[in-house]
Amino acid sequence: MYKKIKWSYLYLLFVFILLYLPIFFLVVYSFNAGDVMQGWDGFSLKHYNELFADTRILEIIVNTFLIALLSSLLATVIGTAGALYIYNQTNALTKNIFLSLNNILLVSPDVIIGASFLILFTVVGFSLGFVSVLLAHIAFSIPIVVLMVLPRLQEMNQSLVIAAKDLGAGNWQMLSRVILPVISPGILAGFFMALTYSLDDFAVTFFVTGNGFSTLSVEIYSRARQGVSLEINALSAMMFLVSLALVFIYYVISTRFAKSKKRGTRLVLPASEGL
Amino acid sequence: MHAWRVMMMMPRSKKQRQLFYLVPYGAWLLLFVIVPLCLLVVQSLMTQNGHFTLNNYAIYFSSGTYLRMTFNSVWFAFLITIITLIISYPTAYFLNQLKQKQFWLLLIILPTWINLLLKTYAFIGLLSKTGSVNTFLNLWGIAPKQLLFSDWSFLLVAAYIEIPFMILPIFNSLAEINPRLEQASRDLGANKWQTLRYVTVPLSMTGVKAGIQAVFIPSLSLFMITRLIGGNRVITLGTAIEEHFLVTQNWHLGSTIGVILIIAMVITMSITRDRVRKHSRKRG
Amino acid sequence: MKLHAFLVTMYLLTKSEDWALTNTSTPIIEFKNISLSYDDNEVLKNIDLELEAGKFYTLLGPSGSGKTTILNLISGQLTATHGNILFEGNVINDVPVEKRNMNTVFQDYGLFPNMNVYDNVAFGPSIKGMNKATIKTKVTEMLDLVKLSQFADREINELSGGQRQRVAIARALANDPEILLLDEPLSALDYKLRKDMQSELREIQQRLGITFVFVTHDQEEALAMSDWIFVMNDGVIQQNGSPEDIYDEPINHFVADFIGESNILDGIMKADYLVHFVGKDFENVDAGMRPNERVEVVLRPEDLDLTTVDQAKLIVTIEDQSFRGDYYEITAIDDDGNEWQVQATNKATVGSRLGLTFDPEDIHIMRFNESEDDFDARLESYDDDAAE
Repeated sequence: MYKKIKWSYLYLLFVFILLYLPIFFLVVYSFNAGDVMQGWDGFSLKHYNELFADTRILEIIVNTFLIALLSSLLATVIGTAGALYIYNQTNALTKNIFLSLNNILLVSPDVIIGASFLILFTVVGFSLGFVSVLLAHIAFSIPIVVLMVLPRLQEMNQSLVIAAKDLGAGNWQMLSRVILPVISPGILAGFFMALTYSLDDFAVTFFVTGNGFSTLSVEIYSRARQGVSLEINALSAMMFLVSLALVFIYYVISTRFAKSKKRGTRLVLPASEGL
Repeated sequence: MHAWRVMMMMPRSKKQRQLFYLVPYGAWLLLFVIVPLCLLVVQSLMTQNGHFTLNNYAIYFSSGTYLRMTFNSVWFAFLITIITLIISYPTAYFLNQLKQKQFWLLLIILPTWINLLLKTYAFIGLLSKTGSVNTFLNLWGIAPKQLLFSDWSFLLVAAYIEIPFMILPIFNSLAEINPRLEQASRDLGANKWQTLRYVTVPLSMTGVKAGIQAVFIPSLSLFMITRLIGGNRVITLGTAIEEHFLVTQNWHLGSTIGVILIIAMVITMSITRDRVRKHSRKRG
Repeated sequence: MKLHAFLVTMYLLTKSEDWALTNTSTPIIEFKNISLSYDDNEVLKNIDLELEAGKFYTLLGPSGSGKTTILNLISGQLTATHGNILFEGNVINDVPVEKRNMNTVFQDYGLFPNMNVYDNVAFGPSIKGMNKATIKTKVTEMLDLVKLSQFADREINELSGGQRQRVAIARALANDPEILLLDEPLSALDYKLRKDMQSELREIQQRLGITFVFVTHDQEEALAMSDWIFVMNDGVIQQNGSPEDIYDEPINHFVADFIGESNILDGIMKADYLVHFVGKDFENVDAGMRPNERVEVVLRPEDLDLTTVDQAKLIVTIEDQSFRGDYYEITAIDDDGNEWQVQATNKATVGSRLGLTFDPEDIHIMRFNESEDDFDARLESYDDDAAE
């Protein structure tokens, strides 16, 4: 018995090492004085200096976060409206159709989303760049917001709504005073998921980005194709910290609001498609 | 009188409210879900001049290269799924026995929040000819090898990326099993292995299926990893689509492969769909 | 004189028979000084107990009293921190769950949702590697026993709570256990069904003749079903005995309070057969205590009678009454302000003054902090007195 438990710990340790080794490796080498991910030429912050002097990268970082914030804000608004629409829909068939349509972009491979959006923008005659990337990010973030908000609506106490109606609340008052406060944890979680979806996306952006505009993922891709540059390591160390902060905030939010039983299952993974 | 008016207005105001919600959401559904998919299908059925044709499909199905590539892609996706499943099931099982399991699960999920380009990039450093893995192998007297740009490196990195997506659904399905059932099984004379085989594994199949879905479909459409790690070869459906759209600019054939990928996706999903409900309704 | 000698001989004979029964035939289960702690929390404290084969035992106590822990120690789901557990005389501390010839009916049934009724019952026998035909006979027999023959092909989620209960019992019995452990199996059933299952379980136990260990917090259930009851609280066996013993002679405040309804009052044993409480002296049947020893006095509500004031041992005022079907539950207050629970067959008028009366043998005396052994010794001394 005792021995068995030891073996399972050993196995878990192995998996954790496997999962964290590449990340650890990247971060450690960002402090290497040399220029390649091999050997060790001493500790140095020179790659961080390079990074902060690289105006192109800084501009791209700003763009990436701008896209992420704008797209997740807009996706949250539209997605919440969608969730409310589906929730209010009394016809079961219509409800199911909307839910299925909603989930199409969630299960589709990113290449398909990217390729079909590229066709769409071209057919409409829309020029590729900041706006096309923004639209694409809004589009693929909406369904996850719907899925985060909808359960909150379904859990909402019905007598709350009836009571509000009984007390004479109008549509707008009902929404702003009763419904939105109740579902706000779902909205917040949806916003955060949209944010990470956007920051994490490579494939869709790669298709609709055009020539002039780039996000971090696309930039890393094109640099990585040219070979190793420890500036990217420095960048990844920074992004690791940002990811940690985001996870932490998200975790606090989801545990704070979800006093319910299964908090772990509420954590949803960012899109895994189209790697 | 007032009550009557309120009653008359109710449906109308509800309609207005619903319309208010539907306009943005419906516009999105139409413009970014339905239209793009239709466009993709239409493109696959068109010649360069805009005429209807089945020629793209004919090219695809008569070309040994495309069929081999498709088979390869499915084969790789299958291997990636098997590898992640073999690593993930015991991980999920052991994780579920830990005291602070939600915390450890969070640690498993954490790497997925790190931009996957960066994780892939890390492997370029690890696997390159002068990279750390070769340095390590050199210590054991093994000559440096080209590890990057091989099928193995592609499988390794793809599996690495996908592991958390396999662990999570399996973990969830295991965590949902009433611990009483394992107790009952032991109580009835089954040892640890028999309990695992007859009780735990069958009850966690929903999670395994969800995991397969979450890994197999994305693995078919990989293109970034094949480019960076698999060595610029067109070995998956995803790479083929990217190649046709962004390199050779043959959107029609690219769309055709896209439609094939969608069909593959639908097949995978219907195979791995949860049949538990149907099973229980057997005797209605 | 001859008669006297005869009686003494008979008494010794019965005693020695008792002695032979409890000591030469090995108990099927024995706990020797068992303790169990989680971290710093001691769940069981130095438990000693013996279970004889073929009897219906009940572990009775409030939640957290350690009764289910004892069950889990017997089945092997838990391991004791200290002490030994013996099965038919052999230490089984390290025998894993699956190797112990005993099976459990769990509170939430623990039926496998991925198998139908038949496969659930067949699980144990098929793990043992029996052949298909034997398994089939066994399962059919078990389903007959619990009256579920028609339901073999049903899925678990198609069954009602009572039916699931029966499947769980059949599944546990299909392994031919020597001991059946039942962990509050009836608590999820409604009142009527529970009553039916109580007598049915008792019947099954007598038919099969195997040992049942039944855990419950329901004292009525325990009294109705058991040959022998262990009353548990705070990880300690407070008292064990036949249902009658436990009810009629509660050893301490906890048992008196937990089993049935009780009026418990502080008193003083002025001398043998004379107890003082609520400001009066009463004749009773207890003896063997120090003069003027402080005791607790227990009077069961059903042993109290309401009567006219002139025939009364105590005068009380009726505070409240409620109809309980076969009796009236009456709350009364005496002149010292003590509250009395009385079960009466006749209606009383709230606010009226009535007399309260009881017989000397209905007064039960409990010593403060008396150990079980002391208690037994004291009881035996009464028997000796009676025999002489």
